[in-house]
Amino acid sequence: MAMELHHTFTVDAPPEATWALLTDLEQVGGCFPGATVTSATEEEFTGNVKVKLGPIGVTYQGEGRFVERDDEAHRAVIEGIGKGLRGLGNASARVVLQLEPEGSGTQADVVTSLTITGKPAQFGRGVMQTVSDKLLGQFVECIEGKLTS
Amino acid sequence: MIPPEFDYAAPATVAEALELLAEHGDEAKVLSGGQSLLPVLRMRLNAPGIIVDISRIEELKGVTEVGDAIRIGAGATYQDVLDSALVQEHLALLHTALKEVADEQIRHRGTVCGALAHADPAGDVGAPVLALEGRMVIQGPDGERTVDGADFFVDLFETAVGEGELLTAVEIPKHTGWGARYEKFVRVSHQWAIIGIAAAVRTEGGTIAEARVGLTNMGSTPLRARAVEEALVGQEATEEAVAQACAQVAEGTDPPSDLNGQADYRKHVAGVLTRRAVLAAAGA
Amino acid sequence: MTAVDDRPQAASTHEVGRDRRRKEDQRLITGRTKWTDNHVLPGMLHLAMVRSPLAHARITGIDTTAARQAPGVIAVLTGEDVKDLQGSLPCAWPITEDQKAPPHPAIAVDRVAFSGEVVAVVAARSSAAARDAAELVDVDYEDLPAALDLRASAKDDILAHPDLGTNRSATWVFDSAEAGTGSSVEDAIAAADVVVEREFRQQRLIPAFMEPRSTVVDPTGEQFVMWSATQVPHILRLMLAMTLGVDEGKIRVIAPDVGGGFGGKLQVTPEEIITFLVARHTGKPCKWTETRSESLLSAHHGRDQWQKLTLAAQADGTVTGLKVELLADMGAYLGLVTPGVPILGAFMYNSIYKFPAYHFSCTNVFTNKTWTDAYRGAGRPEATFAIERIMDELALELGRDPMEVREQNWITHEEFPFTTVCGLEYDSGNYEAATERAKELFGYDELRAEQQRRRESGDRVQLGLGISTFTEMCGLAPSRVLGSLNYGAGGWEHASVRMLPTGKVEVITGSSAHGQGHETAWSQIVADQLGVPFEDVEVLHGDTQISHKGLDTYGSRSLVVGGQAVINAAKKVIEKARPLAAYQLEANPDDLEFRDGKFTVKGAGADQEGVGLAGLALAVFAAHDLPEGMEPSLDADATFDPVNFSFPHGTHLCAMEVDTETGATTMRSYVCVDDIGNVVNPLIVEGQVHGGLVQGIAQALWEEAVYDDQGTLVSGSFVDYTLPTTADTINFVTDRTTSPATSNDLGVKGVGEAGCIASTPAVVNAVLDAIRQFGVKDIVMPCTPERVWRAIQDGTAGAMSETAGAAAGHFAEGEPNQDPPGAGAAPAAGTTQEGGQA
Repeated sequence: MAMELHHTFTVDAPPEATWALLTDLEQVGGCFPGATVTSATEEEFTGNVKVKLGPIGVTYQGEGRFVERDDEAHRAVIEGIGKGLRGLGNASARVVLQLEPEGSGTQADVVTSLTITGKPAQFGRGVMQTVSDKLLGQFVECIEGKLTS
Repeated sequence: MIPPEFDYAAPATVAEALELLAEHGDEAKVLSGGQSLLPVLRMRLNAPGIIVDISRIEELKGVTEVGDAIRIGAGATYQDVLDSALVQEHLALLHTALKEVADEQIRHRGTVCGALAHADPAGDVGAPVLALEGRMVIQGPDGERTVDGADFFVDLFETAVGEGELLTAVEIPKHTGWGARYEKFVRVSHQWAIIGIAAAVRTEGGTIAEARVGLTNMGSTPLRARAVEEALVGQEATEEAVAQACAQVAEGTDPPSDLNGQADYRKHVAGVLTRRAVLAAAGA
Repeated sequence: MTAVDDRPQAASTHEVGRDRRRKEDQRLITGRTKWTDNHVLPGMLHLAMVRSPLAHARITGIDTTAARQAPGVIAVLTGEDVKDLQGSLPCAWPITEDQKAPPHPAIAVDRVAFSGEVVAVVAARSSAAARDAAELVDVDYEDLPAALDLRASAKDDILAHPDLGTNRSATWVFDSAEAGTGSSVEDAIAAADVVVEREFRQQRLIPAFMEPRSTVVDPTGEQFVMWSATQVPHILRLMLAMTLGVDEGKIRVIAPDVGGGFGGKLQVTPEEIITFLVARHTGKPCKWTETRSESLLSAHHGRDQWQKLTLAAQADGTVTGLKVELLADMGAYLGLVTPGVPILGAFMYNSIYKFPAYHFSCTNVFTNKTWTDAYRGAGRPEATFAIERIMDELALELGRDPMEVREQNWITHEEFPFTTVCGLEYDSGNYEAATERAKELFGYDELRAEQQRRRESGDRVQLGLGISTFTEMCGLAPSRVLGSLNYGAGGWEHASVRMLPTGKVEVITGSSAHGQGHETAWSQIVADQLGVPFEDVEVLHGDTQISHKGLDTYGSRSLVVGGQAVINAAKKVIEKARPLAAYQLEANPDDLEFRDGKFTVKGAGADQEGVGLAGLALAVFAAHDLPEGMEPSLDADATFDPVNFSFPHGTHLCAMEVDTETGATTMRSYVCVDDIGNVVNPLIVEGQVHGGLVQGIAQALWEEAVYDDQGTLVSGSFVDYTLPTTADTINFVTDRTTSPATSNDLGVKGVGEAGCIASTPAVVNAVLDAIRQFGVKDIVMPCTPERVWRAIQDGTAGAMSETAGAAAGHFAEGEPNQDPPGAGAAPAAGTTQEGGQA
């Protein structure tokens, strides 16, 4: 099951300032709902994500890193791969960030996708699809919140 | 299918249950009828440290009359509620909806409050309770509070019941003499609703005086179609008038897309079934 | 004599044909059962499988440390541990000489090819401990692209098995001109007045037997003993020996009570191999029992084909040729008969019709999904669906009544025996009689009138009538035919009849029942043959040490092949008893006749006592006074190999109501009149027909195995794999006409699959008949309310055009028979031309 979310928003700060924040992996990783970043460097981070939703409670452990980072063009691709505890299957996320100047501020394009395999995807009635939608929504909202506040 | 190991406690009182919840925090899961929780545990999609089984708490059992409302305790099973003469007389909509819940075996185990707390938008209980303006009674370490439907249902599987709290009852105002119909749309019997429409109508000489319409599985929570309710007031209970009033029922809803139907299909069917439910409720 | 005298006299020689209650049911219904999972052995370990969550991936590492250290765990085995021991799971039916297939490991070694494939197994002291520990096995995967779509996979867009170099396993062709059984299809198409070309989708189904699969292996005796919930204990024993290199004599397989199979237990499973290996490894009895989720995910699936049919006809409706081109999804591996399943349908597309030219080709394709194999009807439901759908389409093109067009083309009852365009000889049948009776029971003309009324009044609920006139080939199978199809075994069946000293009879059959009622039916047959009471017959089966020889139960073969073996063995018993009877009666053996369980002297009058079989059995047991040279035994064995298939047929009529506002469908009535030849037990036949109907109807309306874009089975529980229950069905009207089969003494044809084969097209034809008025040409199965509703919207050109975009999800490019956007409701003739030019 793969979900994708496109989101565009503007920030009242120039791209350079925004870029620094956006490429702080601890900040970005920590924005994922239920995530705890346990270690982070310039290039990668590790952590876990607890998805709690009504009766469901599943934990993924994983790591994330830049697969692409262009500080000039203000474009970055971050990938995170989580392994579900208790044989759940895997989840992976990919975030594509692109900043463009807009007036005195910045326009940010964020494309996030989430792929879930194994038991949660089989849960039924497409519930995990709705859940993924929600998780991605909260993630992007958090990123936007951090940049615009 | 075997769930992961967990501790188990069966408190005898609400106070004891709350103590256990306070002690174990998010490691605790409340078990009532178990019809939603146990499958999840057996599919190993959760592994709580402790199960707090409230099904033996006497004070939570039963269906009683409390002034102008009917109080359904957290221990009351679907079947207890179906069998209640009070519910049959005063809450026809809830009664007709509960008949559509799953199958006989599940109705003898599952509880109405359990379903509300579970907050599955495809469950058959939320929409009628919301439409009939039920109030959820929640107890916690700081005492008791009452929450109405609009505030209770927060999101998919998410309610106003906080950590350490317990939904102990739902109180639903009497709707004596109202006609009712629950239109449940499924592909095979005993399934979750693809969508469901809960309609209660009070008529005065062929004219709709008041109407209540609740929607099942048309969004991440049960929904109440207030605009439709308002549009119905004063209408003759005729096909044409009702159809017109119900036409916009899906406006603003965000139903899911899954193997049973895409969102636009659900929206379409909601319009058809709302008309049918209201007409049936109005006895037309 | 009391036991005999208690029975109604009329029944004494006429057990066959009685609606006996099944003798095994009281035990089964009251729970006194011996399912495999009920077996508990001293020191037994429990197994849990670790399964791949990914459809296609390289295994880059497996860490079993935590699992090994978990409480109660005795062993954890991975593919690496067993790679030199596990062999490759057998495929007994390579359909062509050049068929390509990857090795089929029980435990994946370095690569997984479908989601649900076993990557490790945990053995522990309890099933809970095994399950807990299985979750601690830490597997690292490197994702590989997964081949998921059947059509794309046929083009090798993504390879399901990169080492194989292609996804195409084999292409099997039958051509009537080449075989000399008919003329050329291409000529027929070129010369046709009307050419109808259609594509149909056979969705993937899952055999959802009641008892999940389970296997117990006890390695502690001289023989390895395997109990398994299998349809095929004999085949399983042979295949275990061949796959694992264990002496056949050292393996005993027992299929105890087995709760249904529907083809799903016609398999040699990875889990059977694994349980065997772990039992051997640990030296302890081991048990594996699957969960329902595991069953849906990893037990073999069924159907899953694209079918393209081209039908050529004259303007008067006479069909002149049929061309069938199939793509069949094998899934990730070849199971026991996987490649042969679509080929079983090859001889059935011409069905009951006198088509002079026929061409069939099927390409088997690998994908990264659970492998497919036998599912009730195997190949024949697919064939029946396609031909019965396209016969309706032909009628539509011609503007004729669909029954009339069928009648014009079918084999009339005077024409039997009839050799078909496939070269099969249909021995008996009467399509006219079955159809006439069905129409009468259905009220065909009245329903047509009601349909007209509803159309004219624009009723929200429209009515449609669907026809399916089907035949099938049963009684699998003449060994010679199987040989010509490259199948790895014969099609005979074995039986023994043993006379016990007390006069009771033991019948041993190689047809291993798993809910069909063999115990009852075989008792009825033997009671008649030997003139012993029904109750005195004990039927034994399913244990290779008791029933040492057999080819098991599938393909509606048990009665037609196994039943005849039982009769042959019983006849041998009588012949073995004859010299002793003659000796006792002091008569010439040739002067004796055997009736109602005793030998009498011909012409010696009705009041002679004669000698009964029970007395003879006791005399043989004592062996004190036997004729000179007589072996002291009346027991007899027989192995029967049929010379031909049997060909049940029937006419099924279905009326469906369609709520045009929601697309919801409701079955109004269903009538079937089947001709299955003579009947041993009408009650068992009713059960088979009803169950089969529901299963076929379920394909039309409800069931589908759905994978997401990652190759995860998202219909992985009964929440989404919408299996119907009794609450979803109506009362069926069933009746029978009888044209006895000529291929066996009983005149029986087999009924195990009939309902499932016939019903699917009847339902879909009915749904379409209700809504063709809106321009609808086809609906993909299952006909969900949403699909029906969208079809109505799309068909009503322009009226609801805004739904077209949203409809794309279900009627995307690549779905069958969809007009390009904007084409609207093209006139039916357009399709004809298109087909004609193709």
